[in-house]
Amino acid sequence: MTASSSATTPAGTPVRLWDLPVRLVHWSFVVGIGLLWWSAENHRMDLHFKVGLVMLGLVLFRLLWGLVGSSTARFTSFVKGPAAIRAYVAGQKAGTAAHVVGHNPLGALSVLALIGVLALQIGLGLFAQDTDAVNSGPLNFLVSYDLAKEISEIHEAVFNVILGLVGLHLAAILYYRFIKRDNLVSPMLTGRRVFAEAVATPRIGPLWLALVCAVVATALAVWVSWGLPPFATPFPWDRPAAAAAVPPPSSYM
Amino acid sequence: MTKPIRLALAALLLPAAVMAGAAATSPVYKLRHDNFEAMGRAMKGTFDEFKKATPSIPVIQANANALAAAAVKVKGHFPKGTGPRPGVKTEALPAIWERPADFAAAADRLVGATRGLQAAAATGDLARIQPAAGAVGGSCKNCHDTFRKPKS
Repeated sequence: MTASSSATTPAGTPVRLWDLPVRLVHWSFVVGIGLLWWSAENHRMDLHFKVGLVMLGLVLFRLLWGLVGSSTARFTSFVKGPAAIRAYVAGQKAGTAAHVVGHNPLGALSVLALIGVLALQIGLGLFAQDTDAVNSGPLNFLVSYDLAKEISEIHEAVFNVILGLVGLHLAAILYYRFIKRDNLVSPMLTGRRVFAEAVATPRIGPLWLALVCAVVATALAVWVSWGLPPFATPFPWDRPAAAAAVPPPSSYM
Repeated sequence: MTKPIRLALAALLLPAAVMAGAAATSPVYKLRHDNFEAMGRAMKGTFDEFKKATPSIPVIQANANALAAAAVKVKGHFPKGTGPRPGVKTEALPAIWERPADFAAAADRLVGATRGLQAAAATGDLARIQPAAGAVGGSCKNCHDTFRKPKS
């Protein structure tokens, strides 16, 4: 399933470029990053944990969809080696490059960096804690106070990396919009765009498969948020009744 | 030594001298910070066990002992003149020195709660340990609400 599948779309006809799952995940990331920032700054850790859990599910879904989803969502179809990236950049400079339907080889680096740093940040957040070690991620109980303190500092620092990558992402969009006269935002909203030449039609993954991926990703995220039962901790319904009667430390600090 | 070298050395040593000066006037800032951090470490150590599939009573007992040992030091860690002032990083509020009787009562409540946790831990009964640990947490909050700078 590569872009070189047989079907082509003639010039001037809208191509289905980004499927619904990719667009939903993309705009959910935008909202989620904003909410995670706001809730951390305003010490709304209850909200921070909920949104973090949703983001964990979204990243897991995007990774699964990158394996089995639409051709433009698959990592194997858009992630290229250094030689292909150099050839793409040279082709762009010479003005000889054909239009890429989907992520181009250079943009693929941005996709990998953004998803990678989000995955890293969510992973760190699972183990992080506040100064009192009472507002803590769902896997914090598996690491020592001192290790969690280090992780929390990295969790704070990595947010600046996210800001930098988002800034670069926005700068690239503005560059395409005003220098290359190419609107990247509206295809990410509508899923469609028109090309000036005939292009290979992307193969769109079926919605039922997206639902299967969403169920798997949700189950994994919930399992992590429960503290990886039954290995590290009992399932919520297996916990002794006394534990439920004691208020969680976050309620009194 | 030439003048530029002396200047450079002075510039290098100045921050260290300022820090040493601050530490010399009030080592209690660091002492109490470390003491509270030790309590945070012991509280996490205690509550982590509650979450685990097989909570370790010896680990809880060790943490209860650490909490009790740290709790008795709190009252003596706030002598007059060690409140917030420029150049010092502290979350202690002036209320500690404005309402000494209330602060002493809050510190005593912490000591009582940590002794309660020690006693509960000695029984090895989780059904007793967990509410006792909750009471320690309540005594932390009781003091933080009035005497610690809210998280900004």
